[in-house]
Amino acid sequence: MLWVALHLPLLSLESLAASLPPTPGQALALMDAHHIVAADVQAQSLGVMPGMKRATALALAPQLVLGQADAWRDEQALNSVAHAALAYTPMVCRFEPAGVLMEVQASLRYFGGLPSLVARLRGTLAPLGHRLQLASAPTAQGAALLAQGHECLHCPDRTSLQRALDAAPLELLASAQAHGPALQGMGLRHLGDLRPLPRPGLARRFGPALLDEIDRACGERPDPREPIVAPPVFRSQLELMARADTTDQLLHGAQVLLARLVAWLSAQHAYVACFRLLMKHEPRWRGEQTAAITPLEIALAEPSREAAHMLSLLRERLGALQLPAPTLELALEADDISRRAPPHAELFPTPQSERAGLTRLIERLQARLGREQVQCLVPVADHRPERSTRVCPADPATWRERGAAPAGGDAVPGPAPLQAITRPLWLLPEPLPLQERHSRPLLEGRLLQLLAGPERIEAGWWDGGLTERDYFIAQTPEGALVWLYRARLPTRPERQGAGWFLHGRYA
Amino acid sequence: MAPQALAPSTPAPQAARPVAVPAGGAQPAVMRPAPPAPEDLHPSLWRAHQLGRHADQALPSGHEVLDAQLPGGGWPCRVLTELLLPHPGIGEMRLLARALAAVQQGGRLVMMFDPPAVVCAPALAELGLKVEQLLVIHTELQPRPGADRLWALEQALKSGHVGAVVAWLPPRLRAERVRRLQLAAHAHEGPAFMLREMAAQGQASAAPLRLSLHPAGADQLALRLLKRRGPPLLAPLHLALPPVLSAAAARRAQVGLQAGDPVAEPLQGASFINLA
Repeated sequence: MLWVALHLPLLSLESLAASLPPTPGQALALMDAHHIVAADVQAQSLGVMPGMKRATALALAPQLVLGQADAWRDEQALNSVAHAALAYTPMVCRFEPAGVLMEVQASLRYFGGLPSLVARLRGTLAPLGHRLQLASAPTAQGAALLAQGHECLHCPDRTSLQRALDAAPLELLASAQAHGPALQGMGLRHLGDLRPLPRPGLARRFGPALLDEIDRACGERPDPREPIVAPPVFRSQLELMARADTTDQLLHGAQVLLARLVAWLSAQHAYVACFRLLMKHEPRWRGEQTAAITPLEIALAEPSREAAHMLSLLRERLGALQLPAPTLELALEADDISRRAPPHAELFPTPQSERAGLTRLIERLQARLGREQVQCLVPVADHRPERSTRVCPADPATWRERGAAPAGGDAVPGPAPLQAITRPLWLLPEPLPLQERHSRPLLEGRLLQLLAGPERIEAGWWDGGLTERDYFIAQTPEGALVWLYRARLPTRPERQGAGWFLHGRYA
Repeated sequence: MAPQALAPSTPAPQAARPVAVPAGGAQPAVMRPAPPAPEDLHPSLWRAHQLGRHADQALPSGHEVLDAQLPGGGWPCRVLTELLLPHPGIGEMRLLARALAAVQQGGRLVMMFDPPAVVCAPALAELGLKVEQLLVIHTELQPRPGADRLWALEQALKSGHVGAVVAWLPPRLRAERVRRLQLAAHAHEGPAFMLREMAAQGQASAAPLRLSLHPAGADQLALRLLKRRGPPLLAPLHLALPPVLSAAAARRAQVGLQAGDPVAEPLQGASFINLA
């Protein structure tokens, strides 16, 4: 057995900082029952120490940002760390006060040894933004104790563990906390000091729990642990300490939540297809019971667990969204996940990776411009030119499924189009009425020369859009070709006569 | 060439070393090989009277007359190509259609940004383009049209997954914006066409290839190369586009253009016009 313990010494402060807009150099302290319980480096340099009263701390550092300690908030942050660890081994559990234990013996071979596993683990946890203390030992309790005292310590066998434990201070033991002054009075400071003492006497004086804890740490007593199981549905909340008025402030909070989502996804070895960001707003008047909630649903064409991509989609969508009131609380929900084989790590681009990139591009364009603005064209079998093309929003999913290339690859101009060109590429959205002189059409005050025609298009009596037109190809004086028609019947009663209309240009 | 090599023959003091070069020239000429031509050193070097060669492949335009005058023998990939035209609908897409069809045959996508009118799908098929491999992107309807247009275009160029890009851009565009697009186009494996109005002709542009297009009769196009990597070309090129008109109609069009005023020609088809 090889246990890796991750201890998060600044968990409460970091979970508070995640709910604040990022400001460098800000002094931050946590407070519980009017007393400071934790202070960050900036606050400590100003003289704020844990145990101080609130008023004292504020007198020392008026710019200090004080936050209430919140066990539930810390728990959510710690859960995410546990989820991220679940990607490495199924045996992950928590330990007090703020840490995660993982049993990695069976995973060492796959991840290429402990150093490379630890390096990857640090990389996975980096987006969550916690300071880590890490220790590995053959016993769970031993690793947990050592992680609280060391930055990074590896004890591969029982003897090195024993040596490291002997030097560990006694305050780390949960069962020794109640007897702190008594132990200190007897001159017992380290775990090693207890070992030469008679066990029955120790048990009588300090209770059996103390010996039990030490035995478990040394591996002389069994230490069963219950593994954490990731919940089937993801939901994480973040209360914003400063109310968010702008998209950037919201995005900072969303980034924290997305990092948690990615940790949860990696625990499931899954990819998310759709997630929801819920923004809970400030009540508009005092006493309003139900605060407004704006949901923002992001559907991904291709299931992903890349935080940067999801954040860029959120940014575009949030940029276009108008919020009714400042946001107090953010929540992220995801239940639509898909499990699939991880993508290949190709060195050279393949048609598959090409398609995935294209899907992302279309998704990003649609997120910013709107879904209807990215169009693909579908030809319709209709003689009326304005109805011969149907415009529909591009669906990124179809690009993924569509076969990439009929191979080819080499870009050689194909043979000239076999069929003759009969239709103009540019159609005017509305046919433009033309003036006439001697029943000849004029465009911009100049006569057009009719070159080919008429081509009669008479269709649509069955659906109410009756069209009876004679189309001509004409030439402008400078030599460009245009497509115009003469309506055979007066289209509207108020416009007497048929007249000429410009309908397209040959591009 | 190296001063050390010359030192034994001319034991001159340090200050006189530049003078030693003619002394080196006095050595037998067979000792020194002829200096390599700059164009052989690197594919991106060329002399002013030569046509530049692109390190990247160029996409043949399908018009031999034009390919002969383009550096690399076709539309260049990974750079912007700027086409200036007086108004849309003079045959610009018929000029590009062959190259775009070749891109689509390679299984890649063509994107059109802000085309000037509604695109007619049957006409695309007649030009040899596949409708399924084409996306049309509109950016004018957004509250900030200019910003979104350039953003979308830059994203498409940067992604490197689009086969070819055809974008209609306004004539007023700051030079640094074009420069930015040109930098983004380095990642784009294919031609990128930027179509602008003739008013942009006087403005500086970072696009290494600029052409202006003029109609020159029915199914004919006159091209002027405003800028290319190579010597300037003063005479316009005349290209025959894929024809819309039959041979007889094209002859009539030619006569009509030379006559100047088409009114002179009697309207022989008057009978069908009076049908209504």
